[in-house]
Amino acid sequence: MSSENPNLRKYDDILEEDNHLPNWWLAILFGTIVFGFGYWIAYHTTDTFKSPPEEYQADVEALKKARAAANPTSEDALVALAANTESVTEGQKVYATTCASCHGPNGEGLVGPNLTDKFWIHGNTGTDILKAVNEGFPDKGMPAWGAVIGDTKARNVTAYVLSIRGKNLPGKEPQGNPVE
Amino acid sequence: MQTQRIEYDDKIVRQFIFASVLFGAVGLLVGVTIASQLAWWQLNFNLPWLTFSRLRPLHTNAVIFAFVGNMMFAGVYYSTQRLTRARMASDLLSKIHFWGWQLIIVAAAITLPLGITTSKEYAELEWPIDIAIALVWVVFAINFFWTLAKRNEKHLYVALWFYIATILTVAVLHIVNSFELPLTALKSYSVFAGVQDALVQWWYGHNAVAFFLTTPILGIMYYFMPKVAERPVYSYRLSIVHFWALVFMYIWAGPHHLLYTALPDWAQSLGMLFSLMLWAPSWGGMLNGLLTLRGAWNKVREDPVLKFFVAGVTFYGMSTFEGPLLSIKSVSALGHYTDWIVGHAHGGALGWNGLMAAGMFYWLVPRMYGTQLASKKAADVHFWIATAGIVLYMVSMWISGVNQGLMWQARNPDGTLTYPSFVETLIAIRPMYIVRFLGGTLYLTGFIIMIWNLIKTMAGKTALVASTEVVKEDEKPDPDAGTVVDVVTGRPMWFSIVAFVAATAFVFVSLVPAIVLAVAVLVIGEVAYVINKKERAAGKPSWFGIIERRPMAFTVLVLLSVLIGGVAELLPTIFVKQAVPATGSAQKPYTALEQQGRDVYTREGCYVCHSQMIRPMIDEYQRYGEASRAEEFIYDHPFQWGSKRTGPDLHRIGGRYPNLWHYTHLMDPRATSAGSNMPGYPWLADGKIDVELGSKKLELMTTLGVPYTPEQITNAKADQQLQGEVISKDLAAQGVTVAWDSEMVALIAYLQRLGRDQGVKYGVEPVKTTEVAPPAPAPEAPPAAAPAPPAPAAAPEAQPAATGGGR
Repeated sequence: MSSENPNLRKYDDILEEDNHLPNWWLAILFGTIVFGFGYWIAYHTTDTFKSPPEEYQADVEALKKARAAANPTSEDALVALAANTESVTEGQKVYATTCASCHGPNGEGLVGPNLTDKFWIHGNTGTDILKAVNEGFPDKGMPAWGAVIGDTKARNVTAYVLSIRGKNLPGKEPQGNPVE
Repeated sequence: MQTQRIEYDDKIVRQFIFASVLFGAVGLLVGVTIASQLAWWQLNFNLPWLTFSRLRPLHTNAVIFAFVGNMMFAGVYYSTQRLTRARMASDLLSKIHFWGWQLIIVAAAITLPLGITTSKEYAELEWPIDIAIALVWVVFAINFFWTLAKRNEKHLYVALWFYIATILTVAVLHIVNSFELPLTALKSYSVFAGVQDALVQWWYGHNAVAFFLTTPILGIMYYFMPKVAERPVYSYRLSIVHFWALVFMYIWAGPHHLLYTALPDWAQSLGMLFSLMLWAPSWGGMLNGLLTLRGAWNKVREDPVLKFFVAGVTFYGMSTFEGPLLSIKSVSALGHYTDWIVGHAHGGALGWNGLMAAGMFYWLVPRMYGTQLASKKAADVHFWIATAGIVLYMVSMWISGVNQGLMWQARNPDGTLTYPSFVETLIAIRPMYIVRFLGGTLYLTGFIIMIWNLIKTMAGKTALVASTEVVKEDEKPDPDAGTVVDVVTGRPMWFSIVAFVAATAFVFVSLVPAIVLAVAVLVIGEVAYVINKKERAAGKPSWFGIIERRPMAFTVLVLLSVLIGGVAELLPTIFVKQAVPATGSAQKPYTALEQQGRDVYTREGCYVCHSQMIRPMIDEYQRYGEASRAEEFIYDHPFQWGSKRTGPDLHRIGGRYPNLWHYTHLMDPRATSAGSNMPGYPWLADGKIDVELGSKKLELMTTLGVPYTPEQITNAKADQQLQGEVISKDLAAQGVTVAWDSEMVALIAYLQRLGRDQGVKYGVEPVKTTEVAPPAPAPEAPPAAAPAPPAPAAAPEAQPAATGGGR
């Protein structure tokens, strides 16, 4: 075959043949090109499918909604939770592992402020406390726990803190402003 | 007509082989060292220059540019002389090339462990070395093209096409990606920022793989495979199709390194689609290699050289299948930032490059000394050990990567992350790090056996002088050479141009015309194919035959093919201002101290293990926060997105932890994050930033377009002190003494700034930290040893998530 083909030569004793391109190889070549056009039409020419950023936005919205639905965070809902023994007991467990090292075993304060007196740096409503638990005050040493413990535990521990609010245990000196 | 004897310059080939073998051993040894550091953090020894993040760039540079680079030059110098039947044009240029390149390698080996780096992957070398690389490369190019000009073979064989593409493209890539503004003799900043810098970098990075590790080795394969097998190359037309397809398509694929980042989605899609289209052209090379062995497979059993070549080409096929696979967005979502990518890279480096190199050395060395390989058996042992090593390496990294990727994504039924602690996902893959270390060690052992074998082969022998006889014909017009007119009227070229224009228009139009244009492109391709087939059947000489004997025309065509992809992707991204913040708030440039801290961050190579790019995925949103946006990086010269998460993402680390946490974590990562394999960086507490350089840095950044006011530049020194003291006082209040101008404080300032596009307010208003820093907390615990604030110490087993990896 090579002898008849004017395009084939010999280089440093290397000969070339001119065999056909295998059909399966051509199928991959053209298949990927056709796929490329199809993909572009589906994602860019038209909006048949959502782009990754659009999907992400939808996922985030859905997550926020689901969280809000599963874990009402209104003041009333949190106060109601504080009256629920089960939630408070669960919250106490979370408190023991997560919070006690700084706020004392019973909330009397240690490195962190006393949670049972009437002085509060960041407010003492349910929503204030939940916010503090979730977002923390990293500048002052209070980490953000929301992402770590999740919504349920965050709410339960808030319920627990609400339940010990005003117990006035002797402990850390007052910090923040008096809240009646 | 007269006969002339031509002596080949094989001394330069031997020198390059020697250098390649030497630096190959070094590169592998460094690789095994850093692999062991990932499994056993203690092996960082708290020594700056022995720390993983500084050694990893040394490893990649040594393997790519020293080992494969020198191997490539050996193969190119050997085969080019024989394929052109001409000695290299200038022995002097060959020598400058050789010694220049080795000096560059030595410079790299000294500067990288010292932390002198641009932090751009595979382009870490600082600007003076960048210039040296460009100069030496030009010397190589002159020598090569001059040799082509002097050739005694009319036609250029396919190996030479690949060499031409390599030389041109590497020059373009290196020069563009090295656009940087020097601050001092050993420090520069990329002129590109953020998204642009990332795109330029990965356009470079991907094509360093394509045009440094792939095309030259394909050329070498095209020469050595048929030589060793003594069989004709399978298909000339396949070599044409896959060469031109590779050269044109490869350059577009860079954005597949940036899928799900802040890079515009259209560029990501182009990167993905071109990567998929690369599958067939890549496999064209594998086919032409493997099918050349038709009728010679029995030789593979006996000849270790062919064993290495066959396995090398097969690994090439595997890697070039895995590459397109990983470029699919949804696969990248799982694989990116994990060890899967590391395994993929090593399949190519150890499998394709390493085995092809070994095969070439085993064939060349005995031949150049007119002898037999000292031990065929040892070469076989090398082959099997190396293969086993690669398999262990790749499989362990697949398991590790997929496992960790799935753990990152895993969510509980209630929507929370199953593994909120990053460290947990790291501990899970540690056994695989040990297996990888073993695989690498096996591979290194095989390499050492090869060195012994080669030395024994050469021992006591004198190198032969190879030569050839060429018949110098009298100058007369060559009827087959064609004219410039023939070149520019070539039908294949015009078919390609029309198809490309149609495809470009396709991108911009609405549905119906888009379908019409897409069909048109495919019809053009089919018509070209049919016409070509008919002409070939009629025995007509082809246009390719004409350009293959006109190196100049060939080179220009290759350059155009390569430039199209780069221009199409880079220019819109660089010149279209996307700097308008989506949040409606202006980005604040880094303060002088934060910039100093950023330089410490790049010097230590934090980007090697930490990304600063939160992908738009729900699990990353939960773990790291809001997805990163393009406008948040407009002042990042250079970008620090990273490509691997051995540790967690840092883009929104700012404000998440107190200063003391960062101090404690940097001094001893395990004090805050039990199970972490991060090296400690205790020297940062003693190291001092050059405060005087602060204003110079801001000034340089102004040249690059960062809007600093003249006051900020003049007051840089005082501002650094002001901001530094805020942090050092905060730390002092908690019992840690560290100077305000220490590298530690600068780095903390930078880290606390990350992800806060408004910047942290310092200066007139005292920062909150000092306002309300808890008065002498935890008096019972010495702060340096105390795991920063609250929880970690409390219940590490119950809440590992609270630790550093907890993010």
